[in-house]
Amino acid sequence: MSLAIEARSLSKSYPKRNAPPVIAVNDVSLAIPAGQVFAFLGPNGAGKTTTIKMMCGLITPDSGSTLLNGFDSTHQHFKAMSQIGVVLEGTRNVYWRLNAWENLMYFGRIKGLGGARLKARAEQFLRDLDLWDRRKDLVNEFSRGMQQKVSIACALIHDPPIVLLDEPTLGLDVQSSRTVKSWVSKLAREEGKTIVLTTHQLDMAEALCDRVAIMNKGRLVANQPVSELLNVFRQEYYQITLRGRLNSNRPEWLHGLKIDEEEGETTLTGAIAGQDALHTLLDGLYSLGLPLLEAKRIDPNLEDIFVRLTGVESNGAPATNRSSSV
Amino acid sequence: MKTILLALASETWKGFMITWSYKFNNLMSMVSMSFIFLGINYMIGNGQLNPEAMSSTLLGYLTWFYAITAIENMSWNLRDEMQCGQLEQLYMSPAPAQVMIGGRALSTLIVTTIQVVIMATVMGLVFGLRFPMRIEGLPVFALTLLGLYGFGYALGGATLVFKQTGPLSNLLTNALLFINGSFLPVDRLPDWLQTAAKILPSTQGIVVMRNVILGNQSLGDAWLDGSLPLLVIHTALFFTAGWLVYRACEGVAKRKGTLGQY
Repeated sequence: MSLAIEARSLSKSYPKRNAPPVIAVNDVSLAIPAGQVFAFLGPNGAGKTTTIKMMCGLITPDSGSTLLNGFDSTHQHFKAMSQIGVVLEGTRNVYWRLNAWENLMYFGRIKGLGGARLKARAEQFLRDLDLWDRRKDLVNEFSRGMQQKVSIACALIHDPPIVLLDEPTLGLDVQSSRTVKSWVSKLAREEGKTIVLTTHQLDMAEALCDRVAIMNKGRLVANQPVSELLNVFRQEYYQITLRGRLNSNRPEWLHGLKIDEEEGETTLTGAIAGQDALHTLLDGLYSLGLPLLEAKRIDPNLEDIFVRLTGVESNGAPATNRSSSV
Repeated sequence: MKTILLALASETWKGFMITWSYKFNNLMSMVSMSFIFLGINYMIGNGQLNPEAMSSTLLGYLTWFYAITAIENMSWNLRDEMQCGQLEQLYMSPAPAQVMIGGRALSTLIVTTIQVVIMATVMGLVFGLRFPMRIEGLPVFALTLLGLYGFGYALGGATLVFKQTGPLSNLLTNALLFINGSFLPVDRLPDWLQTAAKILPSTQGIVVMRNVILGNQSLGDAWLDGSLPLLVIHTALFFTAGWLVYRACEGVAKRKGTLGQY
């Protein structure tokens, strides 16, 4: 299978005055086959956006390179750019003083598309995104969701085979978020585009993506197909239910497990590495005097794995009730 | 080539559309520019407006007007786009960003010319002001503008790296107005200021334009007396240096990862 994106040993650090340099991205290599939907996950500051910007040639890496459909994004920049459409995080990838139609015409032309084909594609996008009736309204009069739709349409107007979306649903309401998700799905399944997206919505990544990479502190800590990743951790996830409630002074060895107390029962959920650790935990719980109701292996979701690998919740909060091992 | 031409045309068209969306601001800008011009001439003429003297100062003033739009275009507008994320989109176009910025300069040039024609017509009708025109002045004017846009490129490059170049832009536009020979001949300035004035990108252009347009000097004579070759050297230096500074600053911004940050 041909590779749409091949990032080789990308590294980037930023010098700091009177302090050691901040390593934003540390030796990241990726190979994304054509036609796949790929999610880049990681807490804030993990290096996702820097990696994407290095792939697009917006940031010069300290070392490493990126090939986009075989074109080097630094040395063959213009050819590489014709392969991609990018929506970067933020609210203004488009011109607010132009209307939706004018934005599409402008971005289409600067990407080398013109004439009847440009107009036909612009009309198709605006109709698909329910913006046709408002095509002559200035973008600054649009809601956040509508502006994001225009941004995505502008990024895709020249029909690039690779699409990079940095937080495409950030700040959108539920309805707009659903529209964007279904559109991403359509682009991948019906048009065969290679899509790379960064998101904090792990359910979205789990539902849409073939493969995920998890970054933490500038490094890749996982890079696998979603199903394989879930499988790896499937062996280690347990749910233990006890009758009664834990004291407010919880023993330190419970730290890292997710603890829910409801209707007189306490449920502990989390990764427990191996049978020995499981038995040690059960012995510890027995010593607390709370009757064991159930202990079972469960399927983790992407959120659990994310927390396990990064030590933070997907919303950026530290994972206070969880740990990577017991 | 097709991509580059399309991008250039598109950038120019976008400049028009955005300028049009700020109709009121542009109208007010023309009114205030006209008032400043009349006010300064009123002071220079000791309370009188002399249409003949005004025609002479108009040449320098208009050059200054072109200069400030070139500088604003490259500093304020670039900074706004950096702040809003569109600049990064521009850098992901398959056409070189410098071409796009050239397209932007072209649209600024055309819009400024339209504004100048409107202002000169109104002042001509109201004050009997004669708009100085001579075909030989056009290449001199074009050379002056090229130097000014080179200066603009350098400022644009500084904006990419240092971000807050607004105060520097203000300083430069004021310096251009008061010491580039628009209202007061450069040789009447103190020696040290004359040196600074002669380095500015529009000063030599104004000298040659005055001689050619108002003094009916031929281009051949301007070449022989050395004023036109000096302008050519000035323009070549400003444009080349401006372009190189822009490219260097672009590289710095990409290395620092601040192309889209403000």
